[in-house]
Parts: sequence; structure tokens; C-alpha cells
Amino acid sequence: MISELQRQHSRGEYNYVAGDGYPGDHHSLRLRRLSSQMSIHDFPHYNPSLSDAGDSEAGDHGQPRDLRSLPLPMAIKKAKLKSRGIQVPVLSKVELWKQEKLKKLRKFQTKAREFLYFLVLWGKTIQKIGGNFGGGVKSYFLFLRFLVVLNFVSFLLIAGFVIIPSLVFRQVGTSFMNSTGNERCTIYEPNPPGLVVFYNFFLDLLSGTGFMEYSFMFYGYYKNTMVENNSFSYKIPLAYLFTAVFYFAFCLICIIARMGTAARVAVATGGSTVVNYSMTVFNGWNFGCLGETATKLKQKNLLYRLQVDLEEESLKKRAASLTLLKKFGLHSLRLLMALLVLGLNIAAFYGISYATTYSQEQQNKRVNKESDRIQDLFFEYLPSIVISVANFLVPLLCDQIAKVEHYSPSITVIVALLRAVVLRFVGLGVLLFTLWDQITCTGNMDDAKCKECSYNYASYACWETRVGQEMYKLTLFDLLINIAVLVLVEFPRRMVVDNWSSKVSQLVGRQEFVVSSNVLGLVYSQTVVWTGALFCPLLPLINTVKFVILFYCKKITLFSNCRPPQKTFRSTTSAFFFLVVLLLGWMLASVVMIYSIAVIHPSRGCGPFRFSDNMWLIIPTSFYNLSAATQEFLFFIGSQAFTIPLFSLSGLVMCYVIALFSIYGKSVGLLRLQLKRESRDKQFLVKQIEELSR
Amino acid sequence: MGSKQSIFTAQQLDAYQVGGTPPEDFLVLFYRYRDLAPQLVPLDYTKEPDVKLPYELIGSMPELKDNPFRQRIAEVFSEDGEGNMSLDDFLDMFSVLSEMAPRDLKAYYAFKIYDFNNDDFLCKSDLEKTLTKLTRGELGEDEVKMVCEKVMDEADLDNDGRLSLEDFQHMIVRAPDFLSTFHIRI
Repeated sequence: MISELQRQHSRGEYNYVAGDGYPGDHHSLRLRRLSSQMSIHDFPHYNPSLSDAGDSEAGDHGQPRDLRSLPLPMAIKKAKLKSRGIQVPVLSKVELWKQEKLKKLRKFQTKAREFLYFLVLWGKTIQKIGGNFGGGVKSYFLFLRFLVVLNFVSFLLIAGFVIIPSLVFRQVGTSFMNSTGNERCTIYEPNPPGLVVFYNFFLDLLSGTGFMEYSFMFYGYYKNTMVENNSFSYKIPLAYLFTAVFYFAFCLICIIARMGTAARVAVATGGSTVVNYSMTVFNGWNFGCLGETATKLKQKNLLYRLQVDLEEESLKKRAASLTLLKKFGLHSLRLLMALLVLGLNIAAFYGISYATTYSQEQQNKRVNKESDRIQDLFFEYLPSIVISVANFLVPLLCDQIAKVEHYSPSITVIVALLRAVVLRFVGLGVLLFTLWDQITCTGNMDDAKCKECSYNYASYACWETRVGQEMYKLTLFDLLINIAVLVLVEFPRRMVVDNWSSKVSQLVGRQEFVVSSNVLGLVYSQTVVWTGALFCPLLPLINTVKFVILFYCKKITLFSNCRPPQKTFRSTTSAFFFLVVLLLGWMLASVVMIYSIAVIHPSRGCGPFRFSDNMWLIIPTSFYNLSAATQEFLFFIGSQAFTIPLFSLSGLVMCYVIALFSIYGKSVGLLRLQLKRESRDKQFLVKQIEELSR
Repeated sequence: MGSKQSIFTAQQLDAYQVGGTPPEDFLVLFYRYRDLAPQLVPLDYTKEPDVKLPYELIGSMPELKDNPFRQRIAEVFSEDGEGNMSLDDFLDMFSVLSEMAPRDLKAYYAFKIYDFNNDDFLCKSDLEKTLTKLTRGELGEDEVKMVCEKVMDEADLDNDGRLSLEDFQHMIVRAPDFLSTFHIRI
């Protein structure tokens, strides 16, 4: 149809409406040569109204842009222009001025946007990483940057509402001593008397004891100071509790907002499972790719992507064509492997639990200060060591097991990730559970050790500080391990591979930056920080510093030691996945927080809540200090007369949004169908035109 | 080195601007073109000399040197279809491949680039050649066949065994980053 039209005109037919602005035969000759190959009427897809009698020229300044969008060679465009008698410069002064202003505004906007990119934290670095190593690695660094900002803002929050007021009001405020009940339980001596050897300073830094224990670092230092002037009252315990709760809520909002943007991107790029191959083939090549290595890498990427897709297809076909017996065999094998993985995990959890118990016992036994400090340090870090070893070994073994299971490649990746996530979170949960076990004597308040003070006073004079210390040690150890691996494993590996060419080093090769395990490490650290923030208010700041150091370390190792990934990780869906896992970590931490606030008895010897039975109880007690009107208002909000209409209203709004959502989905489907049909209509009409013109 | 006015007449400059080259890039592009063969390209274009650079020179540009599709790009944008480009063709090429070109225009030219036999349809052989260039020939024959079949299944809307421009455009409409992948910066 269309091709026939074009072929007709390509045989030396000169039906171009020759404009005669050209001075001399020389130019019209070239034009004739050109038009012998194609004419303006060969482009029926582009605005036929423009190939033109030239009478509908209402807006002259609209013209140049339309001409630019026509797929015509430059010479024909020039000729067309001449044919219209160069109407372009003829614009009124006002129009000209408007155009100038628009142009200037647009330029300013692009420059402003560029400047903003420059100001964004690490913007240039991340772009460079994305360009060199691809979307997967870039998404890791984007995630890391998000966490740094989140931690820093949380620290500012905590500093503003808890630490600084505590500092300021410490001398000014009143902290009443309500000594009822057991005197014994209120004794808390974090700094035992005696001379301290100087290297103890360093060891204290590593384990959070000694000078660090009774400082702003940990919960135990804060008092329940209350400042009450005429117009201003500030209660530290209330501030502490509210800040902790608000910190969690704030992190949740940030995560969900970011999930929203990530989900929007994932939805906009369409169902990634639907149009795979054509997108890879036609949109896969980046024409801006420069240089031989980059080109080869891109080609390898495309090759890998296509091969993975094809392999999945063939696996699906093979799975569908299996006989019943083989299917049964495969499923039972998979079940066996799943049980094996479960067994490995349980072994790891048992190891963590045992290590934590042993470590706590050793710490509680430490009466004699002259004992071997290095050994003590080792025992203190034992849970962290066991967790790190488990998090390294078990996924390695699971990878080997996955080779037997014969899942399709994408499912293998997902299953490996899920297993690693479960391992990390449950491992942390086991550690926390063991701690709780020790502190509250397994919840049994009648146990000999816990009867007196409703928590295990003998071992834990100030249990919140101890929990904070454990979290601090986990954080620190994580950072140290990362740096140690960097120095002791990655750099030597690179040096060996580069300088010693043998078969082994060829096989091993330079390492690749494995995005998933690194991201899980980040999520794990963040969960630890969230769990510990209630007991160690400075932990977000320490974590910010840690993540900044980690950023630079990872960047250095990336550029020096890693080769660009040949197997690309789908970055659109993975940003969403990281945030989902982060949300899971948040939930774990919030469970811990809620439990500590509502159930466990605070230490009687330290902290701002030492005189209540629960951390939560400070709220009802201060509630009754509010004015009567406020109390009534808050009661009203909590009453049924208010909440039931509120719930029904929000239910209504949710139904409306869901209905809107499904309607939009349907209309998108309808529009797609319409697009398809329109192209067919167009072809039909062209055929008709052809027939009629015969 | 001359200024714009000494190399081109004002009329020519206007025409080039309307034709799609933004004025900031114009002189840069002209000098890049000239640098490929300074002895062939005169500094004075006011008389509109008929100068064409052979494909070998165009293909040796650093932006195109490693692109597996460089030959097709040169062929599509050149007048004679062989890859020998005049200044007009050169400017055309970089204006379509710039970030200012509209999506439809880019889709049109991308279609032409992938159409190896110039029949205005993407048939199986065109797809096979595209795949070979994309993967450096490392994809096996069966795999190539399977991928071509899949692409046809997905994109061929009018079921005639080959992709027309509409099919291609309909598919490219769904690629949000097409504008940035089909882009050469100079």
C-alpha cells in the first residue's frame, strides 16, 4: 500500500512543487536529484495538513516547529521554506519579544535543573556509578543515600526534642525522687570506682561501657527532669516517648512515600512480563554508548537478557511437558531441599541464641576488672560474630542447594533473596528474644531473680542501657567487618587477578558487585538502628556516620576492584523490593518498641521512666494535667461517637479510590485497544484512497 | 576560523534553524563535519558547494565508531543511500539524534535504521540482522529464530508476518526511555 506509493515516486518522477527562490540551476539540479528519490507526499503519517497549500498559516511561529518535526531531509525542508517565501522572520515585535522571553525562560529552567542536580547529595557520583555499572548498582547507592538522609533527619529530630532539652534542663529542671518500694532496685553504678588503664578508653569505645555507658549515648543517663514555668512546660520523659513514637511514624511515612514513587515508575513502564522481547530488541541499544568496552559490555548485557528470557521460556515448556512421575519427583526434591534450608536456618538460629546467652552470662560475670579485656571483648562481640558468619555461610550453601532445585532464573533469584531476608530478620529476632529471655526471666515474674524488681536486677541494673549497648555493638561490628572485608579480601583479590595470570585467577576473575546481599546488609543495619533507637538516642547519628563511611568504601571498592555486571538485575522492580524489605524491618523494630514501651518494667535505677510501671504510663499521668477542655476534646476523639463515623468515612473514601483505580486500569486497556484499531482504520483508509485514485 | 556569517549566508542560517538544528549546536556540528576531512570541506559555504564525505570518514567518528548500527545510520541519512553524507545530511542526522527531536520523528528514523532491506517493513530477515548486530553474533541460530518469532508475536498487530511503521510506533510508544536511548550527544 504505502510502500507502493513510495516506490512509484522513487522512479525519477519529479512532482515536487519547485519553489523558485534558488538562484541558479545548480541548486535546482540537486533538488531534482533529491526528489527523484522521494517526495513530500510520501510521508502520510505526518500531518498531511502541513504539506500544504499554505493558506492556513494562522500562526507563523507555529510553523517552524512543525516543519522541524517532519521527517524530511534538510534540503527539502530548506526548499519548502523557500517555497513559502521565507515567512519566518516576519513576526510582530510583540511576538518576537514573547518568543525571546520564552526561550530565555526555558534556558533558565534547564540551567536551574542542572544546578539542582549538582546540589543534590552525591548526585554526580551516583550518575557516574549508574553510567559505568548499570541500573542495579545505581539503585543500591540511591537506597544508601535515602537511608543516610533518613537517619540524619531522625537524628536532628531526636537531638532537638530529647538530647538538647536534656542537656539544657539538666541543671534547671526538677527531677523528683519518688522513692517507694525497693531501695535495692534503684542502685545503679555504671562507673565503678578505681583507676582505669588508658587502653580501657579504646575498649570502652568498642563495647559501649565505661565512660560511654553513663553518657548521652544511652538511655540510662537521662533523668525525668521536668521544667515548668508560667508559660512553658517541658517533661523529658514525655518528650522521650513522643519523640520515639514520632521517629517511627516519620520513617514509615518516608518509606511509604518512596514506595509510592517507585511503584509509579514500575507501573508506568508497564507490565514488565508482557512486552519483553520487542522492547529488548528495539529499545535495548543505547545509541549514546561510546567506546569499545562499553559497547561490548552492552552487547553482553543484551545477550544475557535475551538468553535468560529464552531459558525461562524453555523451562516453562519443559515444566509443562513433564510426566506426572517426573513432576512428583521434582516437587519432592524441592520439598527436601526446602527442609534442608530450614534445617540450616534453625541451626544458625540456635547458634545465635547460644552465643547471645553465653555472651550475656560472661558480661554479667565480669566482676573482676583485671580479667583479660581482649577475651571479654571477644565474648561481648560473640553474637555479632555469629550473626555475621551465619549471614555469610548460609546463603552460600543455599546457592549450592538452589542449583539442584531447577527453578527458572527469575524465581531462583527471588527465592534466594527471600531466604536471605528470612535468615537476617529471624536471626536478629532470635537475638532480641534471647535478650528478653534474660532480662525478664522468660516473662515469669515469679522467678527468684525477677521477683523483687520485676526484671532481672542482678544481671541488669539498667537493662535498657544494656540492650542499647548490644545494638551499638552490632552496628559497629557491621561497619568493621565491611571495612575488613574491603581491605583483606577485595583489594588482594584484585591484585592477585590482575598481576598473576593463571587459570584459577581467570576463572575467579574480578569480583562483581552483588547488589542483593549488599542491600540486605543495609536493611539489617537500619533495622538494628530502629530497634536500638529507643535505648540509645545517639544511634541514628552513629548510623549516619557509618553509612557515609560505607558509601565511600563501597564506591572505592566498586571503581577499583569490581568489574561491571554482566548479569543485570531488573532495577525498576528491585527498588520497590528493597523498600518492601525495609518495611519488614521497620515492622520488626516497631514490635520490639511497642513491647518495651507497654509491657516490660523500666529499670528503677536509671532513665527517665524509673518511677513508672510502664513507659506508657507517663502519658495517662500527664494527660490529667492538661486543661479540662483539652481533656474533654481528647476523650471525645477517643469515644465511639467520633471514631465510628471516622472509620465509616475512611471506608467510603477507600472504596471510592479503589473504584477509581479499577476504572483507570480498564480505561488504559480500552485505550490500548483503540490505538490498535486506529492503525487498522488508517491502513483501510489508505487502501480506499488508493483504489479510488485508480 | 570564521564566524557563522562568513561561512554561511543569513538565509542559509535561517533555513538550517528551521530545518531542525538549534543555533548553538550549528557551528559545533559544522566544525566537526569539517574536521573529518579538512581538505575536502571548504570554509565558505555561501556558494553551497556540493561536498560529500565518504562513509569511511563518517563511520570513523568517535560517536559512531563503535555503534553496531553505524552503517545503517549513515545509509538512512545520506542522500544516495550509500552512506556518503553532505553537510545537510550530517546536520539532519544529528538533529534527529539530538534530545530536541520529537518522539515520532525518532521512531520513524529508528524504523528506517532497523529496516535493512529498505522495503518499509521489518521482516524476519531484518530482525535477524538487527539481533546479530545487537549481540555481536553470539546468539545461537535457534535462539535468534525463537526471539524473532516472539518479537513478531508481540508486535505484529495486523498479522501480516512483518512489522509496519504503525506496529513499530505502537510498540515504541510504550517505551518510556526511548527518547534517551535513541540519542547521540555531540
